[in-house]
Amino acid sequence: MINPVFVPTGVLFAGALLEIVLGGVLSRAAKGWLAFLATAIALTAVLAMMPDVIHGQVLTATLFNWDAGISLTYHVDGLSILFMLIGTGMGSAILLYAVGYMAEEEEGTTRFYVLMLVFIGGLVILVCSANLLMAYFAWELIGLCSYFLVGFWYKREEAVDGARKVLIITHLAGYGLLAAIMLLYVRTGTFLWTDPAVGAAFSGAIILLMIVAAMAKSVMYPLHTWIPEAMNAPTPVSALLHSACYVKAGVFLIARMYSIGPWHGVFGNLLLLVGCLTMLVGSIFAIAQTDLKRLLAFSTVSQLGYIVTGLALGTNLGIAAGLFYAASHALFKGTLFMCAGAVQEATGTRDMRKLGGLSARMPVTSRVWLVAAAAIVGVPLTNGFVAKWLLFDAALEANQAVVVVVAWAVSIITTFYFFKATLSVFYGMPAHDLRVEEIHEVAPTMQIGLGITGALCVVFGFAPQLVMQPVIEPAVHALGFDWQVQVTWLGVLTGSGTIGVTVGAAAVVVVAALFGVGAYRLVRAPAGHPVSVFTGGDPLPEGDTLGAADFAEMAEAAFEPVYSLDPDPLYLLIWRGIKDAAAGVRRFATAGLERQPFLTAMVCAAALFAGVWLL
Amino acid sequence: MELIFIGFFAALACGIGLYAVSVPQDGRVWWWLAAAIVGLVIASKLIGDSGTGAIFLDLAELAAVALVWSHGTPEAAAAARKYLYSIIPAIACTLIAGSLVGTGAEVPGPALQKLVVCLLIVGFALKLGLIPFYFWLPAVASAAPAMTTALIVSVVDIATFGELAALREVSPWVFGEYAQVWMVIALLSMFGGALLALAQTELKRMLAFSTINDMGFLLLGLIIGGPAGFAGASLGALNHALSKVILFGAVGFAERQIGRTVTLDTSGLAARLPLAGAAFIVGALVFIGVPPGFGFVAYWRIYIAATQFGGPTLITALLVVAALDLLCYARAIHRTWLGPAQVPVTGAPAYLAPGVLACLAVMAVLLGCYPSILTGAAASGLLAMAQ
Repeated sequence: MINPVFVPTGVLFAGALLEIVLGGVLSRAAKGWLAFLATAIALTAVLAMMPDVIHGQVLTATLFNWDAGISLTYHVDGLSILFMLIGTGMGSAILLYAVGYMAEEEEGTTRFYVLMLVFIGGLVILVCSANLLMAYFAWELIGLCSYFLVGFWYKREEAVDGARKVLIITHLAGYGLLAAIMLLYVRTGTFLWTDPAVGAAFSGAIILLMIVAAMAKSVMYPLHTWIPEAMNAPTPVSALLHSACYVKAGVFLIARMYSIGPWHGVFGNLLLLVGCLTMLVGSIFAIAQTDLKRLLAFSTVSQLGYIVTGLALGTNLGIAAGLFYAASHALFKGTLFMCAGAVQEATGTRDMRKLGGLSARMPVTSRVWLVAAAAIVGVPLTNGFVAKWLLFDAALEANQAVVVVVAWAVSIITTFYFFKATLSVFYGMPAHDLRVEEIHEVAPTMQIGLGITGALCVVFGFAPQLVMQPVIEPAVHALGFDWQVQVTWLGVLTGSGTIGVTVGAAAVVVVAALFGVGAYRLVRAPAGHPVSVFTGGDPLPEGDTLGAADFAEMAEAAFEPVYSLDPDPLYLLIWRGIKDAAAGVRRFATAGLERQPFLTAMVCAAALFAGVWLL
Repeated sequence: MELIFIGFFAALACGIGLYAVSVPQDGRVWWWLAAAIVGLVIASKLIGDSGTGAIFLDLAELAAVALVWSHGTPEAAAAARKYLYSIIPAIACTLIAGSLVGTGAEVPGPALQKLVVCLLIVGFALKLGLIPFYFWLPAVASAAPAMTTALIVSVVDIATFGELAALREVSPWVFGEYAQVWMVIALLSMFGGALLALAQTELKRMLAFSTINDMGFLLLGLIIGGPAGFAGASLGALNHALSKVILFGAVGFAERQIGRTVTLDTSGLAARLPLAGAAFIVGALVFIGVPPGFGFVAYWRIYIAATQFGGPTLITALLVVAALDLLCYARAIHRTWLGPAQVPVTGAPAYLAPGVLACLAVMAVLLGCYPSILTGAAASGLLAMAQ
């Protein structure tokens, strides 16, 4: 009989295999439904495992002998369940959405669904594997899937350029994880992280190498620059990449490091610094965007900063905050991407300067967007509010006032750019060349997909305990921390630091709301009224209002020094250095060695003889 | 292990044969010489590590020279001459070394030992095209048809590497005290090959330099030895053979279809030749050791061996080279195969050749997903070899 632990993996890979076998005969929609079904069954199987894990059990089993002496061994604990739920849950919603989204795609749908299923399956292997080598295998498997999925439209320049960047940055940083695993193996003789010997050898460079690998996957500054370039992928890919299967792999690794061995201390502080910097840089870059998906991409960078900061606090509350934030982010960011994809599908553009007034034409999408945007901003009654509340509380409890200030400031900036995006896309007057009469709501499956995740943002905001006790608490225990969170309905904390956190959170909400109102007035000043901008005496011409582009320019001017923190020029410099070195070696080889090959060979042979003789 | 190599060579020969049916090579002579090469290599493996086996392999190398010559162009003749002038001294070096120490099991005196080691290093470096004795390989890759080069690097070179591995087993003293010298050659080939590959604009030359680079990796595994090193080198050799047939095959097919040399400026080939493009991309990723390809099965062992032998410094060096390989192949994939099509296809549609390449690519991934098929069977043999 099949061990239930392997059902999610088995179903996902069987689904991928079926897609390959039946790809030629199934319709595009049927392929989509098949992929959705496989993921939904995998989700059900994960849910079926939960009762045991809630009661503190760790489910272990060995699937098969992958290589001589190396088995695919699973160690399913609370953390594995949390990330499996994120992967298969968001995967199900996104694949349901993809049924409609991919219905018009003329070629490559089999490839698309196979890669999506393997992507989710890879995440399941990663989070369940007790064997570090197999975890690295899965780590790169999802990396490769994301590379192929980002480059899905491989005949388009911008898509393949984005894919290349994904491959280079994440794979190169992944060598950090590989080197760490090799060093651990040489020190301990085992690849099993569950072996206590691994914990004892877990120190110094190994930790740093793992952190670097995790930083690239979870888009931490300065290794985040691949994610905005990955936006030219089909929207379900962006949604899966950002919400569930890719950036969360880095978060998982950071969390799992707590299970492997003690590492916090100086590395925790380093990660705190990186997390805060990432929050800030991501949000400031997000303001300047005029492409809706790029804005969401930078907001992912910023939000991942929150998550990693929570985990880097290394306290009972901090871990709970980080993990709950990870789950919440999966929901609201997945929803936002699906909404952005719906807008692009309906209008043919994601350039916010060319959009506007879509709420009347796309009521479902616009309402769901509002809910998800409220959640990411941290408006009460959404899961985002609970996540931020927990994080502020954890930072206060850990005496990390700087973290609180940074997170608070970033919340305001987040509010600002989400107002900008919301107003530019869904409200105000439509842009001149937008054919409003031709725009209508997207396919029902797409609406259901984004509707489910949007609704869950509210459900888990009203009743966070639904996810706290059965999912987050076992995950926190799996990392060796105590459960210290007490929440009631509406996500109000009843535990430590109540007054401080309440006042702080309320202030954030009020300030953000005021800021948003101000932004609204600037973005869409009533038409026909003079805009209070000094122009030399006369008002701006009638109908000339401030829009997203103006805001982008304003932000660019205001945050000019921050934009110089873009690490891409540095990467380009490194690449040029490598190319120059290669060209230098080539010049030496062609002008020196290859011009007189036999003479060179004889000289080298003579030098070799001399060298050996001297040994 | 020998049986696995023989099976691999036979499978590759079938693939190359089917490919050559679809993409005509240099007439009947090519077929005869290719068959002779494969036959001699398999015969040398069947005979084992005796002197006769080595002679069979030397004959295969000479047949490879003739294969390059058979292309008939002045460039091919020049490349073949270069190859011949490298192979003859290489054969002479290895034969003299062999005659000086006999079976090699007994350790000779210090002076003779040094002479033999030098002869062997020069001989094998020339045969395998290791830096600084690599001159013939890029010249052959540039002038000969792609599948001819594939046959040389995937069958002849890998069989020669097998001969070196057998020598490591029979005469460990050749490597033991002289590991530093071998190591210098290996590291030079790794770094030099990677950088020279990165500097190329013509894809076949790039593949040739990446062959040199990979040989450096394999040699390193062999020098370090131990279960991980031996297994890594042996599996890496199989990966090399399989991947290089896919990579050269895809480039050869593209050249035939577009009627000119494939360079980094030949953008968007996959839009016109999707199957060949997919095979190249998969082959490249497998070759450089990205999971779930077969290459990873070899590379992780070499990394382990390197970490055990040289600690963080050596593993860092290896990963730097691996990073250079990734940059090199990512550039080749993106500047040659992906993006909007810019070169018209003039050749007649052909499905057999890309189909064969795609099958080999699938095989390379399946072997990476379930390497126990190979490693389980070979484990006992490898362990015995390591001990």
